[in-house]
Amino acid sequence: MGTAIVMTSGKGGVGKTTTTANVSTALALLGKKVCMVDADIGLRNLDVVMGLENRIIYDIVDVANGDCRLEQALIRDKRFEHLVLLPAAQTKDKRALSVDKMVELVNELKQSFDFVMIDCPAGIEEGFRVAVAPADMAIVVTTPEHTAVRDADRVLGLLERDKVGEPRLVVNRIRPDMVKRGDMLDIDEIVQVLGCDLLGVIPDDERVIRNSNRGEPVVLDTSVPAATAYRNIARRILGESVPLMHLEEKSGLWGRLRKWVGGR
Amino acid sequence: MILESEPLMDHRPPVTVKGTREGLTFLLDERADVDQICAYLETLITGETGKLFEGPTVDVYVDYGKRALTPQETWRILDVFRKRDNFLVRAWGSAKEVRDTSRRHRDARAQHIYHGLVRSGQPLSFDGDVVIIGDVNPSAVVEATGDIYVFGRLLGIAHAGVGGDETAVVAAAEFAPMQIRIADVVSRAPQMRATMEYAYLEGREMRVAEMKYFLPWHKIRKRSGRDERR
Repeated sequence: MGTAIVMTSGKGGVGKTTTTANVSTALALLGKKVCMVDADIGLRNLDVVMGLENRIIYDIVDVANGDCRLEQALIRDKRFEHLVLLPAAQTKDKRALSVDKMVELVNELKQSFDFVMIDCPAGIEEGFRVAVAPADMAIVVTTPEHTAVRDADRVLGLLERDKVGEPRLVVNRIRPDMVKRGDMLDIDEIVQVLGCDLLGVIPDDERVIRNSNRGEPVVLDTSVPAATAYRNIARRILGESVPLMHLEEKSGLWGRLRKWVGGR
Repeated sequence: MILESEPLMDHRPPVTVKGTREGLTFLLDERADVDQICAYLETLITGETGKLFEGPTVDVYVDYGKRALTPQETWRILDVFRKRDNFLVRAWGSAKEVRDTSRRHRDARAQHIYHGLVRSGQPLSFDGDVVIIGDVNPSAVVEATGDIYVFGRLLGIAHAGVGGDETAVVAAAEFAPMQIRIADVVSRAPQMRATMEYAYLEGREMRVAEMKYFLPWHKIRKRSGRDERR
């Protein structure tokens, strides 16, 4: 029996889909059987990030309506045998999937996969409720901005109310230089406000966006620090204790010299 | 609370003291002589046993049973109580009145303790005073008909004295609220973060002061304004 994990945030555009794609891929890299479920019906994206958009024949709504078998709708990843995607429908809207159907579907997937990763739509309405209902665990994604933190706070309140197993926090797109200058909320501040366990911190990197556009999750490119951050998250999900990465920017010759001469 | 003034045994002392949640209740034997009561009371609260009553201000309720007291007798007994300066006589009357007073007193201020983080969009309201053990996050709202005390960071909106109680206060260990409301007065907090502060109304104007001024001020308030309201 696997674990269902929902990725949620409240606010849109903080990187739920990117995080789902990368963490799922990282779990697959670690040899787990993973199924990604795109619950953002009407606005599907996960297939694009995974580079699987041209393989979709059936979607989650077809499965729910009984128009096809579950296995027919699952799309196998190009790179990993044991990583599959259950895409959302693009033509329907959020009402096409009920809470009961979603729970039934995810429970069925949990029989054959170690992890079922649910990509939640933005907002806290029906779509959120449907995506969250089957989850055993929630990962709340936020960025170091007041708007995103406040929405994450709201979502955490809702998750606590619905008793979705202890939510954990991913802070996405942090920029160490801005934090240093005091222009961005720092991690401690966010964690203190949200009162929630930190699962990982992803440094901001344009290569994350570039790779998403190419349909190739950045986690496969080991030269990118964000990839390591995603892999660390996957390891933490599996129960390993991995220390947080150092987010100090790689300093050039001048930086090193300055450090050496005059302290910081 | 137990108050029984009907069958008093002869061997009972002329004054019985009962400690209750509200304070001390003195039962004066309705058949005993006033001189006897005064003498007994005086030795009780100022003599050997007086040490028992030392400490902070305590609310005192006096029940003289069904006795018909003359004004002179009333003053004689009250004068004895005045010998202890930490006694605050809150009620003076025959059995039923006193019982009612202390009960009304208790009902008037329900008290709550809320453990946990108050998140945005999670409205909380309380009847009476509330102590929140945890933070109140930005854009979370806490309402109470009485006072609000936050043992943590107050970053959201606090509304004390919802029913119109202008003596209500909002206090926090870390005081950086988005907005403070007391009764119907709304105030936007300055962009600051202070520790151990509280907000109160003076006239119709909101004031913020350090917590170290809270206790003396609170006592004065308790003696004047609030008693009349009750």
